Amino acid sequence: MVDQNSCVALYLSQTEAEAAVRMLQQAEFDIKKISLIGKGDDHEEHPIGFYSTGKRVKLWAKKGAFWGGVWGLLFGAGLFWIPGVGPVLMAGPLVAVLVATLESAVVVGGLSALGAALYSIGIPKESIIRYETALNIEQYLVVVHGSLQEVERAYEVLSASESTDVAIHLS
Amino acid sequence: MTPESPFYADSLKCLQESTLFGELDRETLVDILSRCRRETWKQRRLLPLEETWQRFHILLSGRVRLSRSNPHSGRMITLFLHGPGDGFCLFSLLDGQPHDLMLETLDDVALLSIPMEETREWIAAHPAFNRALLPYIGQQMCVLANLAEDLALHDTETRLARLILRHMDDAESAHAEPRLINDLSNESLAEMIGSVRVVVNRQLQHWKQEGIVDAHRGYLAVEKLNALAQRAEQQLASPLAKTSMLQ
Repeated sequence: MVDQNSCVALYLSQTEAEAAVRMLQQAEFDIKKISLIGKGDDHEEHPIGFYSTGKRVKLWAKKGAFWGGVWGLLFGAGLFWIPGVGPVLMAGPLVAVLVATLESAVVVGGLSALGAALYSIGIPKESIIRYETALNIEQYLVVVHGSLQEVERAYEVLSASESTDVAIHLS
Repeated sequence: MTPESPFYADSLKCLQESTLFGELDRETLVDILSRCRRETWKQRRLLPLEETWQRFHILLSGRVRLSRSNPHSGRMITLFLHGPGDGFCLFSLLDGQPHDLMLETLDDVALLSIPMEETREWIAAHPAFNRALLPYIGQQMCVLANLAEDLALHDTETRLARLILRHMDDAESAHAEPRLINDLSNESLAEMIGSVRVVVNRQLQHWKQEGIVDAHRGYLAVEKLNALAQRAEQQLASPLAKTSMLQ
């Protein structure tokens, strides 16, 4: 069960997003409460694919090295093709939320499956639409779940990062 | 929040259109946005003000009501109903103390918040904001004075008429919805005038039969503004009271 409060930060580049995750890690945040979402390439120059080597899943794509590094840090990983959004790469507990949303066929008016997953963790529709638009233009979302105190602390850390927007969502 | 944020333009526009921030120059507003924390609260969230009084809040979208209740009788009175552009936790900004108020979101709300201490420093550094804040505080005091007057001097019909008129923007329109309160339940309306749901319901049905309002579940519009104004004024004894009603 993912906490219903969250702190969401937006980044223009994968380097900035990765740095933010590392800042949270250095601030001793529970890594199980951090998620990262980014858009996969619609038109990869190279074939895109997953393969498994033992227990680790690897991504063979242009951004494979980045996501490989992130997946080494965070718990859970997945690539989803979401109508209206396209390929979405995700790491962290939000993967389980999205899978649960897909399995239970939750529909939230006007939102994609990703939007419905974000809605289920307490993010309002108005914000979700902006976040999805940001993902579509290759921006990255870092999401921290937790109690009010935890998300407030996450806000302090992420405010010091290179984010264009940090917000707290309380439900 | 930086100018690259997808929420920046709307937040800036909301501040520019608000009573509290509308007169400030763009540079000052940009400074506010860079200092504030953006938050969203889901609909029907109840927050004791003890949890929020250490930050000053600026509402960007949605509605928030501040109320007091009697835990023994369960009765509630709404002291303030805030909409986009309003600032709240003003009392704590003034006296640095928590207050016994309950805060409830009526919609999903988006807001900006800033620690009280930083707000005070900010007021000191920006005299233009200070000049805008004083009349705003005056407005809020008028809201409380009007409520006290209504409760002490007027019957329910007059109180309800005055409540609706205070939320009307366009005095000329024949069919107009009051601001902020047009979709409230009768119970919520009752809590704004110190009454109970059945009484408000009966009064609205009576006015509906007279063609003064159009009211049904979660919808309220005024059909005959002059007739409603007469109901609001029928018990007002002095010209001074009439003036205060319009504030």
